[in-house]
Amino acid sequence: MDGPGPLGPVTVRASQPDRGARIAGLVSAAREGNEDALGQIVTELSPLLWQVARATGLSSGDAEDVLQTVWLRLVAHLDDIHDSAALIGWLVTTAKREAWRVHAAGRKQLPADQELLAELPDQGPGSDEQVILDDQRRMLWVAIGQLSKRCQDLLRIIAFAPRPDYAAVAAALGMPVGSIGPTRGRCLAKLRALLASGPEGSPR
Amino acid sequence: MMVSDAGGRPSADEPLDDADFGLLDDIRRLFEAADPMPNDLPERIRFSLALRDLEIEVARLAAEEDRPVLAARGAEQSRTITFDSDSLTIMIRIDANRDGTVRVDGWLAPPQRREIEMKTAAEALTVASDDQGRFAFPRVLRGTAQLVVRPAGQESSGGGRSVVTPALIL
Repeated sequence: MDGPGPLGPVTVRASQPDRGARIAGLVSAAREGNEDALGQIVTELSPLLWQVARATGLSSGDAEDVLQTVWLRLVAHLDDIHDSAALIGWLVTTAKREAWRVHAAGRKQLPADQELLAELPDQGPGSDEQVILDDQRRMLWVAIGQLSKRCQDLLRIIAFAPRPDYAAVAAALGMPVGSIGPTRGRCLAKLRALLASGPEGSPR
Repeated sequence: MMVSDAGGRPSADEPLDDADFGLLDDIRRLFEAADPMPNDLPERIRFSLALRDLEIEVARLAAEEDRPVLAARGAEQSRTITFDSDSLTIMIRIDANRDGTVRVDGWLAPPQRREIEMKTAAEALTVASDDQGRFAFPRVLRGTAQLVVRPAGQESSGGGRSVVTPALIL
């Protein structure tokens, strides 16, 4: 089915289809010492790593430390990485490991994740269009909340990944082959079934 | 109204379609609103990656403690931060100076003489640690800063790697 997704028209980011190829180009430039290329990779992929770190339940401050450590470690490993999938796989695996390292060290822990899914930030009153949008956002939020924690984390993180690298990200998260990309996978199929069954299917 | 297939329930084995990509875009927007990454984080990371050192060893933040100290005028904070790398522990204490700058006192363990750089947006200050591994930067501008411990001499077994900390905010 084509047409609008649940939140209005599907907006494909202009950069999306070429994102993987662009990142691969930036990786080889960064390996040759191009500081700006490395900086662009940081800007491009930090939001993905932020979600990886936060999904483990780290506080904001700890998640910031994890991201800094991951990127610094990448500088020492850049010679071993040759394409976008390898880069993203390495970054996600390392972010997850560094996050669990912080958990294991027992530094200022906070069960951020449980609180997170409990409440959607209030955007305040808006136009009629905004109200409809908010309602649809809430339905999606409620549906996501009905998935298993593993599925929630997978979809939350995949949503920030470049399309060609879904499978690499899923593998780095320890999900089985085929959990997402090139096929839909169980988590996304379940979410679509929940959304199709409408609000009556979701306890309020 | 919501995403649904005319042919019934979407199957897990089908290839990803436009509705899936639209849904993932929506999920991304949800989490961008619910759990946004701090805006200035990529900038701080880019700052910490601007290194002229080729071989680096990463020092992780191991502990951070804020302690109120009695200063001449009211309570001031003294911060102690510890970084650990494979070969070195770096501990620093940050105290406010009266002129708005900060003083940074540090210790290296195991104790050793090394050249230490404090990189800030405005300047790069370099000092040396003594035999006990002590070093001090008496006046550092507030803001984003990073410590780089330069490689030990060739004669030592430590090798040619610089130990770098993440960017911190003084």
